[in-house]
Amino acid sequence: MLMLNNVTKKYGSFTALEDINLEFKGGVYALLAPNGAGKTTLIKMLTTLIFPTGGEILWNGDEIVRLDAAYRGIIGYLPQDFGYYKNHSPRDFLLYLSAVKCIDRNTAKRKTEQLLELVGLSDVQGKKMKKFSGGMIQRVGIAQAMLNDPKILILDEPTAGLDPKERVRFRNLISSLSKDRIVILSTHIVSDIETIASRVIMFKDHKLFANDEPAALCASLAGKVYETDDITAIPAPYLALTERQDGGKTIMRFASEQDCGSIAQSVSPNLEDVFLYVYRDERE
Amino acid sequence: MNDEKCQENLNIKKNASIEFILEQGLQKPQTARSQISKMLKTLGFRYIFWDTFYSLFFTAITVACVLLVFAVVPESLRFSACVAVAPLLFLCITAFTETAQRVCGLYELKQTCLFTLRQITALRVVCYSVIGAVFTAVIAASGAKSVYEFAAMFPLCLFSLFACAALSLTVMRFKKSKWNLMAYSVLWVFISVALPFSQNELWESFLARIPIAVSSAAALIGFALFAFQISKMLVRQPAQEVNKYAHAQ
Repeated sequence: MLMLNNVTKKYGSFTALEDINLEFKGGVYALLAPNGAGKTTLIKMLTTLIFPTGGEILWNGDEIVRLDAAYRGIIGYLPQDFGYYKNHSPRDFLLYLSAVKCIDRNTAKRKTEQLLELVGLSDVQGKKMKKFSGGMIQRVGIAQAMLNDPKILILDEPTAGLDPKERVRFRNLISSLSKDRIVILSTHIVSDIETIASRVIMFKDHKLFANDEPAALCASLAGKVYETDDITAIPAPYLALTERQDGGKTIMRFASEQDCGSIAQSVSPNLEDVFLYVYRDERE
Repeated sequence: MNDEKCQENLNIKKNASIEFILEQGLQKPQTARSQISKMLKTLGFRYIFWDTFYSLFFTAITVACVLLVFAVVPESLRFSACVAVAPLLFLCITAFTETAQRVCGLYELKQTCLFTLRQITALRVVCYSVIGAVFTAVIAASGAKSVYEFAAMFPLCLFSLFACAALSLTVMRFKKSKWNLMAYSVLWVFISVALPFSQNELWESFLARIPIAVSSAAALIGFALFAFQISKMLVRQPAQEVNKYAHAQ
């Protein structure tokens, strides 16, 4: 179990994260927050790239700083800006990273083949990566993160820049990988996590705001989300969420603390509504 | 009866101690030497110097240019010139390779692998220092007029190499900026060149008059400092050092 106890990270006088308490046991944990909220800072602390200013991060009761290489041996990491060697093939690249991860050559060869098969890149395993699409590169990224069969898989904004089809494929892949490990996924794209996250972690004002199942988070907005085609008829203060066109009319989705059931249609809240509602002050 | 009870208590304590030791794990403390051997075995030279071709190419060009200048240095400045040029190969190769590594997008990823980039860098620096020492010997041999002069010049050059290498490693360990090592290298070259010019022949005569025993002792101290810094980079990394090494924020 991965555990954060009162973790704080400061850069000089700026507090990036304050007093974070979290437990990761198994499944997909989605870190959902707007850019700059501290997701990447947390990810970098979990990957030992930086260390907390206060508090501790424990893996099975031992501090990850003390575990050092033993901890690095059980994590797989896909950074936000995944650098790669353009002039190498995915096979060479994975074999290189296997060596850096201290995997013996025979195991590395076997694992590389398995993972390239898993991410659907077997047929291009010998081709240079400079010709690959963004989605293919991200799949190479996932494969390298899985090389050491990690107990903790950490993915920082893995779907940024992918087209919808690639994102769906990526989500399915992450879902299949989460069966016997902790997957920590940072994103600000709500649709990425709605179907696969077992828990959603939200930060606000650099503090932990929520840590719950997606359904529970949506339930917290139950009875507050409505749709109407005449928003001018809504007198109470409301928060405009999204709008769509339907039969020549503009349907506005909004959240209100007051009961608008008589003039608007009450709808089931989704995770996107929760995101927009929670971060309403940060939208402009 | 009492003896039996004592023996039983003793056995319980012994078992508890054994359990405790087993729980902690019987591990030999990791040394720099064992880490080097493990890394060489797993990575091999191919992966230690993976993707360093361009850096080696630029180093070759820079060193070739400097050697052309070195060939026309007046004889009256040969000690100063040798001491200035001795660490050049090491400095160029380290600065080019490591700056390229830090600028590369894979930096963060490599820093989270079992062998961190910091450790691979240290291993590369060990290799560079061996090449640097050979280069130093060649420089001293080409600058010296006699065997005695070579014996006086070589330890000075070695001191220059190891002092430069130890300082380079200190910069790497404690400065997280991508460009610090490059800036330090430029500064070192500038001081090495400025010293003989600013002090006229004072610096040259000072170097020429240093007894062989003193320069040999200085070279040994330089090597010890270098080895100390290498071992710090190869084995366990304290949190505060990782914070300084990793430029990630």
